[in-house]
Amino acid sequence: MQGIALALAAGFAVAYLARKWRFPSIPFYIIIGIVLGTTGLNVIHESETAAYLAHMGLLFLLFTMGLHLRPRDVLARKGSFVRAGIIDFAVNFAVGLGAALLLGLPLYEAVVIAAAFFISSSAMALSSLIENRKLGFRESETVVWLMVFEDIVLVLFIILLAATQGGTVSIITATLVFIGACYGLVHLLKDPIRRLFSREDEVPLLFVVTAVLLAAYFSSLAGVPDSLTVIALGSALSMVSQDAPAAIARPFREVFMVLFFVFFGVSVQFTGALSPLLLLGLGVLAILSKLCSGLIIGRLLHRSSLSGVEIWSDTAARGEFSIALAAIYGSAMVSSTVAALVVITAFAGGFTGMYSARIRSALRRGIRRKDARKN
Amino acid sequence: MDFHHLSLPGIGTKYELETEEGDIISVVYMESGKVQIYTRGGACNEYCSAELNAMEARRLGNVLTGAIIEAEQEGVEIAFSALADLRISVHTYIIGKNLSGRSIGEMDIRSKTGVTVLAVSREGENTVNPRPSFVFGAGDAVVVIGEADQIKRFEKEILG
Repeated sequence: MQGIALALAAGFAVAYLARKWRFPSIPFYIIIGIVLGTTGLNVIHESETAAYLAHMGLLFLLFTMGLHLRPRDVLARKGSFVRAGIIDFAVNFAVGLGAALLLGLPLYEAVVIAAAFFISSSAMALSSLIENRKLGFRESETVVWLMVFEDIVLVLFIILLAATQGGTVSIITATLVFIGACYGLVHLLKDPIRRLFSREDEVPLLFVVTAVLLAAYFSSLAGVPDSLTVIALGSALSMVSQDAPAAIARPFREVFMVLFFVFFGVSVQFTGALSPLLLLGLGVLAILSKLCSGLIIGRLLHRSSLSGVEIWSDTAARGEFSIALAAIYGSAMVSSTVAALVVITAFAGGFTGMYSARIRSALRRGIRRKDARKN
Repeated sequence: MDFHHLSLPGIGTKYELETEEGDIISVVYMESGKVQIYTRGGACNEYCSAELNAMEARRLGNVLTGAIIEAEQEGVEIAFSALADLRISVHTYIIGKNLSGRSIGEMDIRSKTGVTVLAVSREGENTVNPRPSFVFGAGDAVVVIGEADQIKRFEKEILG
């Protein structure tokens, strides 16, 4: 318990300061874990209880992510949503995979790193849009829906990575059956569920927590990753209600996620990891790769490179989903690489998100000066 | 005029209005209950923004719909289009120590001033349409309704 209390106390201080300075807290949680864990001061150790609570954080994170994947909304989006998503995926996954293979990593680990390299932090992107008052910009819509597209790709990655660990057909079949059952059950019971969420007692809270834990329990029976079953559950429930289950899950997510990040930091081993210079290079490459995809999307969707810069500024940071992939499927080498990737890009992303208006103004002035010189 | 809305998963719903003058006003209802408003003049590239809590958003909404003619610190005056010249004021006050322990009936509020006490809030508990036997306590928040001159009379004769 001492380690959990210490992790939460440090997490509380970080969250307080990060809110004060309007800066992302995720990289600091990981740094706390590295500094206080076995790699650093050795005051926080991994334990079964901590691992269980951290896993709860991951489940509630993915459950709330699923709540944002409302089938009706996703299916209504066509054209630009898919085009932007595919560009984002093609550029960043290819660059990430190429870099990981060049560094000599085996294919499986290279794919995990490439996926972590591709997936931006939805938490940081959305919070940047809100905190930095960018929701009026037309690019904000593109950023929000890019995050949704990335979430869908994350689901595919989880299926793919789980399938490569054995029993490809059985895992895919069980996954599809579970997803279908979730949607079917929620559709059949939509009225009772709706009535349940309108109650003001403890029943809706118990329902949500039980449903999440039951979905995780089912996964252990069916051999489907629990990360998938909770996403499917969230997406199915979103057909009936998004706000009520999201409000219930939020406190669990916020508290247990801190433990998830800190204990991820604790588990990171830098012995045998890539050299600091290579890690820094990979982080910089990840930032440039998002700039590249952002510019293409900006030119294509908004006919403006400056729009691309705006999209990049909010999506450069990698975070919770990259860590989640590394925690579920990564080796020690992958974990240390992704930890460094997240810390570097999240710091850079914090600044680009905050100062994107200035970056755009400076670029606009630069373009005008260049045009004036030409004339 | 162009008006449309779109869903922003993880954030809320955005409503965007383009006026005939070409100005753009965006209102984002966030899942947190807060509301962000963005305005951009037609010829200008920059947005101006404001963030409102739920109560501020409701007040602004009332102003925009034209329901409020006068907005004081804690009072609103409402005009009903169906009732010519009828302007009703709704006002809130905090009860001071001087009225603590006295009941609505004892002070004869309605007969003396014409004002009706609509509701009293005490430590988070609301009493709607309190009976004449309701006894005030210091710190109670009361909501009264009446015409502007009746409200003034209430302030002068009852609150002192």
